[in-house]
Amino acid sequence: MLPLSLLKTAVNHPMLVELKNGETYNGHLVNCDNWMNLQLREVICTSRDGDHFWRMNECYVRGSTIKYLRIPDEVIDMVKEENTARMKAAKNRNRDQNNRNNRGGGRGGNRGGGRGGNRGGGRGGGRGGYNNQR
Amino acid sequence: MTDYLPGTAGLIEDIDKKHLVVLRDGRTLIGILRAIDQFANLVLHQTVERIHVDGFFGDIPRGIFVVRGENVALFGEVDLENENRGNLQEVSVEEILELHQQVTARKDELERRKSRAMRERGLIPHQDVPDDLYF
Repeated sequence: MLPLSLLKTAVNHPMLVELKNGETYNGHLVNCDNWMNLQLREVICTSRDGDHFWRMNECYVRGSTIKYLRIPDEVIDMVKEENTARMKAAKNRNRDQNNRNNRGGGRGGNRGGGRGGNRGGGRGGGRGGYNNQR
Repeated sequence: MTDYLPGTAGLIEDIDKKHLVVLRDGRTLIGILRAIDQFANLVLHQTVERIHVDGFFGDIPRGIFVVRGENVALFGEVDLENENRGNLQEVSVEEILELHQQVTARKDELERRKSRAMRERGLIPHQDVPDDLYF
């Protein structure tokens, strides 16, 4: 998994962002993008020395100013669940596609117009994409 | 052994292994590397921030860290066999923070006197607290 996709999964979770200047922003992640720009809500900003605090409803942090983020442990468990769910869904999708393709190509003897179309489509579908079966 | 992978691609070998990361601000983090990308942005799991003072160190548990790659000064795999071989003694978090505060107070006082001496001689002292030790 990529760090930025982990961040995407952490949307709606609380997190701590420390900027390069040492300020920390504690809040819930609303959104993030490919440059690590963040939108947070219910934010508490703490100065570098820990002496000053500001509270704001929303804030936007430019990715280039970030030093690091700390996110809650549950996010990584969510990621693992998401991965297994996605792999299962992909496997099911492939299985259904293969069944449909085989049905068209398996009955090779029939030369009906519709069937012929299926056969062509099925075999084309099987060979299509990037399945290198050398 | 796999063929040489250029740039940050080689880091993929390090995934799920314990690593030590030193940030540009001087902080030391130790955690299990879980994710990387081409900018060497890192995801560390079960991370601990280790503070060193003289011959002592203390570990502060920090959870999951997502470190932006440009802030990393040094990064390497921990040799689990020889990890505890050094002459460093582990102390509690409270103790190490206490020691650290004393040392920093002494250093700050020294810096303040240096800055004052420079200003008196017409020189501009450098920034009091450097965010970035490598700039």
